[in-house]
Amino acid sequence: MAKLLEVENVFKRFGGIVATNDLSFDVEEGESLALIGPNGAGKTTIFSLIMGEIRQNSGSIKLQGREISRMPTHQRIQSGISRTYQVPRPFADMDVAGNIRVGMMPDSLWQMLLRGPDPKAELDVALSVGFKQEDLERTPSTLSMGDLRKLELARTLATKPEVMLLDEVFAGLTLAEIAQISELLAKKRKEGMTFVIVSHDLRSLEPLVDRAVAMNFGRQIAEGTFQEVMGDEEVRAAYLGQ
Amino acid sequence: MKGIMTPRHVALWIAFAAIMLLLPQVVSNGTLRIIIFANFLAIFAMSWDFLSGKTGYVSFGHPFLIGIGAYTTAILSYRFHMPIEYSIPIAVLTTIAGGTFFFLPALRIKGTYFALVTLAFMELIYQLTQVIRPDLTGGTRGISGVKTLLVGAVPNYYFSFLLMLGIALVLWVLARTRLGTALDAIAMNEEAVSGSGLSTTKLKLFAFMVSAAVAGIGGAFYVHYLGSIAPRALFDIDFVFTIIVSALIGGASTIVGPMLGAFFMTFLLEYLRPLLPGSERYLIYGLVALVLYVYQPKGIYAIIADLRDGMRSKNANNSKNSGKVGDGKAA
Ligand SMILES: Nc1ncnc2c1ncn2[C@@H]1O[C@H](COP(=O)(O)OP(=O)(O)OP(=O)(O)O)[C@@H](O)[C@H]1O
Ligand SMILES: [Mg+2]
Repeated sequence: MAKLLEVENVFKRFGGIVATNDLSFDVEEGESLALIGPNGAGKTTIFSLIMGEIRQNSGSIKLQGREISRMPTHQRIQSGISRTYQVPRPFADMDVAGNIRVGMMPDSLWQMLLRGPDPKAELDVALSVGFKQEDLERTPSTLSMGDLRKLELARTLATKPEVMLLDEVFAGLTLAEIAQISELLAKKRKEGMTFVIVSHDLRSLEPLVDRAVAMNFGRQIAEGTFQEVMGDEEVRAAYLGQ
Repeated sequence: MKGIMTPRHVALWIAFAAIMLLLPQVVSNGTLRIIIFANFLAIFAMSWDFLSGKTGYVSFGHPFLIGIGAYTTAILSYRFHMPIEYSIPIAVLTTIAGGTFFFLPALRIKGTYFALVTLAFMELIYQLTQVIRPDLTGGTRGISGVKTLLVGAVPNYYFSFLLMLGIALVLWVLARTRLGTALDAIAMNEEAVSGSGLSTTKLKLFAFMVSAAVAGIGGAFYVHYLGSIAPRALFDIDFVFTIIVSALIGGASTIVGPMLGAFFMTFLLEYLRPLLPGSERYLIYGLVALVLYVYQPKGIYAIIADLRDGMRSKNANNSKNSGKVGDGKAA
């Protein structure tokens, strides 16, 4: 299978802190990869680097074999990567439909001017993440954490990604919400979506992934099946040590 | 474009235009002159709103843009005897070019810093008009004797109103397209706009150019209405506040709000004049703005929308989320 996303020897320093230290991993097309590690391991940092929200000090990031390290964020999105945020950040004064609308917009001023929104497509995206029709007019301040995570997924899906980077999809959710989002991700996975999923909720994560990478202090410390990685000495030590 | 202008919108715009066009039949020339000023202030406030109200990049230096438009046409027509059919379009283009200058800092800085840089731009152009070629700019005294376009209160009233109305319609329609939504999104969370695959640079550049074009049109026609240019009054922080407060109390990002806000501010300022001849006046309307702001942060526009919603549905529960009313879909 072809490699969709490749992270090679990526270093990122914040002052004295090395947030990612010679980090390498890759994801194949249609694969779902778990990225685990204790707090401060560098998981969110590598997502921000892949999206181009911050830039690495060295190393390369490739999408479908093409180096993307110099691309601005919006072009990376257009090339097919998209992420959700650990702390959901919706457009606060826009309703659910409006948030999805921004995600669906083409990056062309003319098209934005001349073509109106597509309420049907917005509804489809909203329904696909488990919203109901009447949720479309709700504003983010009235949404539960579960709904906010759904909105993150919806906004991300609206950009039509080939690979989705999900940061702490289950944090702050009720068991029912976890089940709902798990089901949604399982369905997308079956449809061929490629995932990199970060979660501290290992039990919910396990059934959703093909493979796992564990990191600590910015370095990769283990790689393999979920079972292999969880059985690794260093991984156990890292999790116990926190 | 579907859904941008409903029949009700058309009716409201026509009613508004009809009332304003009939006004000269009932009010005095003195009042008309006040409304002429309100029309220009509305143009400036809408220009500000399309940039700052929409994208959240707050300009404290809008007179920089207005001034480029005003000076360019004043110098070309007065000093070089260029017909105003040419000098005004050139002035507008020059202002758009000035707008891209204004735009450069917005690539790197935001918030208060951006506001300060734009303020510095205004200060800079003020100083420049004194130092560089005072033979052209008229230095501190400015330029007087600039050709006026029309004579008399009534023709000037009609002209300024139609100009203002045209600009208001164009900006209002633009604001209601998906592009307007994207600009609103920039104010809420710029990173997430990039994260939606949109070039925020392109969007911001568009907002700056449209805003500059409108400021340029307003500035150029204003100078040909007044017949003179006075740098002291133009590049003045009180003028900046008048523009910003008009837009904010009207309702930022709604275009129609700042237009109403400009009328409100002009009359407030006018009625305060006999009581407070000095610039203490500005203190009072700062206070009025504050009160309005505390009562309804989304401005006059939202207050009207609230009233309308209240009248329409008696069981409206507009107690909690009155904030929803002003989100662009109302009115
Ligand atoms: N913008 C920043 N400036 C300075 N240091 C940062 C910045 N972002 C992250 N760091 C530091 O880099 C390290 C990695 O942080 P990161 O957020 O990537 O960890 P994480 O694995 O996502 O942790 P968590 O599980 O808590 O979300 C931490 O030590 C963090 O304090
Ligand atoms: Mg994190």
